[in-house]
Amino acid sequence: MALAIECRDLTIRYRQKSGAFVEAVRDLSFSVKPGEVVGFLGPNGAGKSSTLKALMGFVQPIAGLCRVFGEPAGGVSAKRRIGYLPEVALYYPFLTPLETLTLYGQLQGLRGRQLRSEAHDLLDLLGISHVAGKQNRTLSKGMLQRVGIAQSLLGSPDLLVLDEITSGLDPVGRRELRTLLKSRRDEGTTLFFSSHELAEVEMLCDRILVIHRGRLVEERLVSTLKDQLRRHSITYSGRVSMVGLTDELTEIAPGTVTAVFETKEALLVAIERVQGSGQILDIVSREGSLEDYFVDTIQGAA
Amino acid sequence: MKLAVWGALARGVVLESIRRKDLWVVAILGFVIMLSAGALGFFGAQGLQVFVKDLAVTVLGLFSTIVAILTTCRLMPEEVKNRTLYPLLSRPIDRFDLLFGKLIGAVLVSWIAFLALAALTSIALLNFGVRFDLLMAQYVLGKMMGLVVVCAVSFTLSLFMTPSAAATLSVILAFGSTMIVRGLVMGYEQASPAIQPLFKFLNAILPQYGLFDLGGRTANIDWGPVPAWVLGALLAYMVTYSGAMLAIGWAKFRKQAI
Amino acid sequence: MKQVGLIVSGTCGLAIATGWTATGWQTTLATTGQPAGLDAHESHASASLLGQFRTTFSGWLWLRTDLYLHNGVEMRRLTEQEVAGDHRGSSSIDNHDHALHDDSLITTVIPSAEQDFRGIFGDIERATSAYKDMTQHTHNDPVSALPLFRLMTWVDPSFLPGWTTGAAIIARDRSDRSLEKALGLLREGLAKNPRSIALDGEIGYLLAARRRDFRQAVHHLDRARIQSLERAALSDDEFEALPQIYRWLSLSYRERGMLAEMYAVLREGVERFPEDAVLQRLLESPPTPLLDSAGVDPPARR
Repeated sequence: MALAIECRDLTIRYRQKSGAFVEAVRDLSFSVKPGEVVGFLGPNGAGKSSTLKALMGFVQPIAGLCRVFGEPAGGVSAKRRIGYLPEVALYYPFLTPLETLTLYGQLQGLRGRQLRSEAHDLLDLLGISHVAGKQNRTLSKGMLQRVGIAQSLLGSPDLLVLDEITSGLDPVGRRELRTLLKSRRDEGTTLFFSSHELAEVEMLCDRILVIHRGRLVEERLVSTLKDQLRRHSITYSGRVSMVGLTDELTEIAPGTVTAVFETKEALLVAIERVQGSGQILDIVSREGSLEDYFVDTIQGAA
Repeated sequence: MKLAVWGALARGVVLESIRRKDLWVVAILGFVIMLSAGALGFFGAQGLQVFVKDLAVTVLGLFSTIVAILTTCRLMPEEVKNRTLYPLLSRPIDRFDLLFGKLIGAVLVSWIAFLALAALTSIALLNFGVRFDLLMAQYVLGKMMGLVVVCAVSFTLSLFMTPSAAATLSVILAFGSTMIVRGLVMGYEQASPAIQPLFKFLNAILPQYGLFDLGGRTANIDWGPVPAWVLGALLAYMVTYSGAMLAIGWAKFRKQAI
Repeated sequence: MKQVGLIVSGTCGLAIATGWTATGWQTTLATTGQPAGLDAHESHASASLLGQFRTTFSGWLWLRTDLYLHNGVEMRRLTEQEVAGDHRGSSSIDNHDHALHDDSLITTVIPSAEQDFRGIFGDIERATSAYKDMTQHTHNDPVSALPLFRLMTWVDPSFLPGWTTGAAIIARDRSDRSLEKALGLLREGLAKNPRSIALDGEIGYLLAARRRDFRQAVHHLDRARIQSLERAALSDDEFEALPQIYRWLSLSYRERGMLAEMYAVLREGVERFPEDAVLQRLLESPPTPLLDSAGVDPPARR
């Protein structure tokens, strides 16, 4: 089965007004399997949007290849299976949300009753059916973002490429969107999105890709990362050896020590040792910060 | 399939133009034409028909061309500026479809403006006892074909330069090309044989808007309709020139980073 | 776009308002003893904008009238090379109004097929434009253009060619009724341009040559002569009209038996226009009365 996304040695270069060239993405390789949910992270200017644009065929890479379900990225057959939400888009200000969805639906190949019912269903799903007849220019930013999300879902695409997905949405909107995307994921849709909201990434993604200065610097499964970031500690009294388990020992009171472990396995061994020659006072497992990880990763790559 | 895509894009352009009240200028002009015709009526209809018809074809030609240029020149730059291009191009259409659909939309807007103005002008002309004939129908047809070429040129220019630069150049071409061609015709015989091919080349590449304007015959008296072969030749020129313009625009746009 | 509409409608509205209230404005723009038309700009601030528009509009109408008399066939002056090469086309058989155009100096803007390098483009233009080559060159009856002359003088009462050419066209059919209509038009023009040499001269000519009312003719022609002496500067048109005024004034004096005045006028005329052979001949030849038939044109009229 073809990969949902396959990028190999992707290099994207822009020409500035001065005539000089700037490399936005360099030798970037990654892949996304069908049904996967992958977050694409990186600081501003890292090359996320450029990569997504290359996936959509908006920019032509100067080297490497990009395929979507085995088809060349940007081609009509590849785009037929993609729903795309741009980072910032002003939908035609003088059209209504319903007309906007009808226009994009027609371009998507939807016709007649199918088009009408899908447009109305999406307006309902995104909670904007009450503004379906108002011109886009009168809608709030959040409403417009919902229009954008609705258009990306037209035609039930196999792959959703979402650039800055939660931009403009309030907390309620974010939660609704999360639920919507999870349902799409459960139906087998592949999700590939960029976001600065690490909480969204953590809640939705199977895997993350971290890009910095156009290069891939990390590729991790979210479940593994979460384990890795989680910190376990045990507070005990008595003389117990933690050799081979951790060096992170703190004497918080005379005869009372707190030991911190990177893995759950080390914690379990430590518990056995304390039970043999000491007394367990407390055991804590704390989730690590994805934000710290992200910052550390970027700083490490710099 | 393609027709549905072009139709959807064109419909979007027309809807936007109508809602944006771009065509209000047509309504205002129509009102002005009626008022002017009423004012001229004080001199008596007799003897003023030619003048009024001349005024009518001049106003029609001028303002339908301006509407066509202004509508067309901003279409694609606004798509890029407002980033409405992204959701459009993420659809399973190729870039040529996008350009062609938008161009059709621009042509339709300019035709609507022209026909609305022509209808209002016709009412004014009726007051002067002007009778409608085959030549007038040919004038309308010729003008509509000419507007296609105006839109195609403006559209292509807008892919290469800013909207204001494209509009300026389009206006210069629309209102100056006939003058330039006449200059070439006058200068050809005086030019040295070495330079004459340059005159021929310039004549070939300049849009021949003047050919589509039957206003001179329509406004004056006793001119008969033009032969069918002329309309056929105009149609062929419109298709060829507009096609060439679209091809140049597509060559620029097909790989352009957006 | 909206601005364009506003500007256009504003300009047209102004044009209509100007025409509508033209009679009222005449007191401002062309009061007795005050400069009219372009001259009024120097003394009347309000005249500047309206005056410029009216002058331009009348000038444009003048050109359009010439075009209509050629039935839409656009003409141009011959180039020096064409004149030298005897390149001109046949003159029309009905070039009856030299005031508007002289066929011996013009040709069609669109060249004939033999002179056109453009091939089929030229053929199409000759088919779609109002085009006839010079061998078929004709004119429409200038009477059909009379409303336009009326329009010119209405829009800009100081546009003298509108009065004089309009009157000349009216007087062309040689009936008494036409003569009175022509004189009426000229007097209306004179009332609005009391210092006009051309109008006084034209009235004097019609009175002398057509109505044979030499007393009234002397009144107008002599006033034109005196005006020409008092004026610091004369326009080209006025200067060119003066020899004719001297000729008709001398003939009118002669018809009234006022020979001393006749010789005085002729001497003054010859002094101012020494190249004028007609004035010279009139001065040197014995005073014979005009033929006693109405409507005789004098020698070398214009």
